[in-house]
Amino acid sequence: MKDNKKIFILTEAVLAILVLFLVSIILWEKIGDDCIRVSVVVQDPDDGQWSAFKYGLKMAAEDLGIDLSIVSTGGVLTARELEEIILYETDNGADGIIVQPVPESDLERLSEKIKKKIPVLLVGTQASRTFPTVGPNDRQMGTALAEELLRDQVGNMDGKVLGILAEYTDPKGASDREQGFLDGIKEAGAQIRWSVSSRDLDAREESLGSLPEVDLVVALDDISLRMAGEHAAAKDLHGALLYGIGHSTQAVYYLDTDIVQCLIVPDGFDVGYQGLTEIAQSMGHPFYKMKDQTVSHTVLRRDILFTEENQEIIFTMSQ
Amino acid sequence: MIMAAFSITSLCILLIMGIVMYLRFSASARQEMIAGTQKLMEQAGENLEDYLISMRRVSDSIYYNVIKENDLSSQDQDIQRGMNLLYEANRDNLRSIAVYNDYGSLLAAEPVAWQKEDPDITQQGWYERAMGERENMHFSVPHIQNLFDDASFRYYWVISLSRVVELTDKGTSRPGVLLVDMDYSSIARMMRQINASGSGQYFYLCDSNGRIIYHTRQMQIRGGIAAENSRQAAAYKDGVYDEVFNGERRKVVVNTISYTGWKLVGVIPYPAFTSGMFNIRYFIMIFMLLIAMMLVFINRVVAVRISSPILKLDASILEYEAGEKPEIYIGGSQEIRHLGISVQNSYEQIDQLMKEIVREQNERRKSELDALQSQINPHFLYNALDSITWMVEGERNDDAVFMISELARFFRISLSKGRTVISIKDELQHAKSYMNIQKVRHKETFSMVFDVDPSVVSCCTVKLILQPILENAINYGVAGMDDCGEIRIVGRQRDGRILLSVIDNGMGMPEEEARSLLTDNDRVHKHGSGVGLINVNKRIQVLFGKEYGLTVKSEPDEGTEVIICIPAVPYTEESRKILEKGYLFSKEELDTEGAQGMEEIK
Repeated sequence: MKDNKKIFILTEAVLAILVLFLVSIILWEKIGDDCIRVSVVVQDPDDGQWSAFKYGLKMAAEDLGIDLSIVSTGGVLTARELEEIILYETDNGADGIIVQPVPESDLERLSEKIKKKIPVLLVGTQASRTFPTVGPNDRQMGTALAEELLRDQVGNMDGKVLGILAEYTDPKGASDREQGFLDGIKEAGAQIRWSVSSRDLDAREESLGSLPEVDLVVALDDISLRMAGEHAAAKDLHGALLYGIGHSTQAVYYLDTDIVQCLIVPDGFDVGYQGLTEIAQSMGHPFYKMKDQTVSHTVLRRDILFTEENQEIIFTMSQ
Repeated sequence: MIMAAFSITSLCILLIMGIVMYLRFSASARQEMIAGTQKLMEQAGENLEDYLISMRRVSDSIYYNVIKENDLSSQDQDIQRGMNLLYEANRDNLRSIAVYNDYGSLLAAEPVAWQKEDPDITQQGWYERAMGERENMHFSVPHIQNLFDDASFRYYWVISLSRVVELTDKGTSRPGVLLVDMDYSSIARMMRQINASGSGQYFYLCDSNGRIIYHTRQMQIRGGIAAENSRQAAAYKDGVYDEVFNGERRKVVVNTISYTGWKLVGVIPYPAFTSGMFNIRYFIMIFMLLIAMMLVFINRVVAVRISSPILKLDASILEYEAGEKPEIYIGGSQEIRHLGISVQNSYEQIDQLMKEIVREQNERRKSELDALQSQINPHFLYNALDSITWMVEGERNDDAVFMISELARFFRISLSKGRTVISIKDELQHAKSYMNIQKVRHKETFSMVFDVDPSVVSCCTVKLILQPILENAINYGVAGMDDCGEIRIVGRQRDGRILLSVIDNGMGMPEEEARSLLTDNDRVHKHGSGVGLINVNKRIQVLFGKEYGLTVKSEPDEGTEVIICIPAVPYTEESRKILEKGYLFSKEELDTEGAQGMEEIK
């Protein structure tokens, strides 16, 4: 009789434990249903240069079930403002941050402040010792641009004078692109007459048209290319041929309208997609160490601008 | 056991029911999901068809109401106005309307915009298809519109509806191509709406060659990150198909869009069927566990209600069997109560029967005892009366009176109101009467001595046990002796026993013969038959038990001693009745009784 009672109590206890176990699983699933939130902090996110990047982020977020939050910065940020935004996002439940650092950013101090609580991935910058990065290979893009330019010049640039336009929001990236470009043309006999940034011009209260006349203008980033394109459209480049690296529809338009001779387009979609995928992987696996991600680039020419493959690139920029 | 059997049976049934319910439910949910998907796709297909029909109507209106009605050379303003009106009426869905001649030159366009430099119209796919199949309207796959210069640096995705039209230029007919560029975003919006469920299923649109028009993961597919089985889907007719793609089982629902040959494809991966059922599965399991808990509890209650009365009944029967006499448990259900009552009745009947048997046995013993006692009476009476006769004949009246009075005392004690058990005092008195009668008969040739402890006389004994021994002592011991015969009657109490010895100094007998006196009833003894001794021995053992009885000691020419051993039971009315009922006192009881008796005697 006593044994029966023991078996009865034991059976009821086991069943009750199973019920509690299943209830806890359901509760755990409900807690787990809360989406992972990733914040994206880039300079002026509404600018057309980020369209493909944002589209890539959006697609990855849909694939991975991530709640994406693109922080509206309203323009160019200072290092302090950027740091404040990142800390604010960290404190307000962001599980990961993708950030475009400003040139003055003290990443090591930022790393200490975040204390590795959440994964951080950098975009629009080249290799950082503090955080992993995602972006194109700047040196290769510079070299690719040089190759296209040389192809147009049939490999001979003797007597040709070049002006280089580069924005230094990412000093290391800009330097790599320039170095890659210079390496590509160093034996072609071209002469570099000037190498400036829009900031330099603003500081000197000069315009691009006021710079010494050159045969070829090379814009190494989207901002520079758009600025140069505007001047070229306004016939303010003294007939110089324009080559550049860019990833906005404006840059494509200049290529389409024959203002730009050749356009190197980094794959902004992949930057966003791979970046978010990488950060999601690190959140799903506590011991996963994020790695630098390199995306490809595409050489666009006017005659092949509307091929099926290239239309897709433009499609991502148009989103 | 009952609970375990109930529980296991009910749990098995519950488990089977749960599994069947879950399978039935999941199959039904799957069917419902497929039906829901089909319904949604039908609705979406109708919306798409409506949209495409409206675009066809726009194209028809421009062609039949504007282009065909006007001459390009003289009424170009009317054509422009007509196109403008239709464009404005449908601008939400349209990107542009343009008319080209058979050389690919732009004749009119809405909205008015600069055509790009050298767009090479005749090489455009929509133009080629229109010119290739002039009788049809042609819908292109989505592409960037690269015909007009957009100063806002934007590139629009459009689906081109192209057809060959008959242009009138200076009264002459010539072919041209009417292009209606539909805004891709309208179709994308419709597709996004049906893809908003987020339950794992998705919908995409492809043309008849499997080229994707809209897909939620369009860029991933083109970038090689994802893949879609659109070529296979394009080959399907409308319906539901099972397929395995990239190792994943899925249901594919295909719906063809009229006029275009496009396929609206709904894909339900198998995990999507169960994703919504994840919680339902757990809820069913929790429900089953709770039911199981309840069943176990109910089973326990039922089992206890059934088994408890049985166990109680069993326990009371076990106690009964162990010698205790508890009330047989009567309780529980009707059947158990009936069982308890039956068992109790049985036990009562057994008790009754046992008592009956004991009573019958006692009566049998008593009748046996009475029969044994009755064996001696006729023999003695004959001898006594013979002596009295002899005295009367010899005119020894006083002796005859003495004899008769002794005989009377003798018989009074012999009868003892029919009792079997009497006090030793009466037995001794009986022995004395007998010896007095015998002494007269044997002319005082022997003497008798009574040496009895006072404590002995107040104990119980079977009546008439001394007389047969004395008879033997006289007949076979001292009868032939000349005035020197002596019979001593000694009474002692030792260890709770009474020892009454009859000792004669007669001729005695060998030890073997003395031993055989009490054992062989049929043997013819040299010194008497021995029937009397055996009789006495049996009577003592019948009444007091096998450990009591007679012992005979004898030596030739020395004499014989017959020792009666009986328990020392103080003679009271109560103990007499008990003994006569056949009850055998235990040693402890005898010790107690003996002690009490001793106290009474003192």
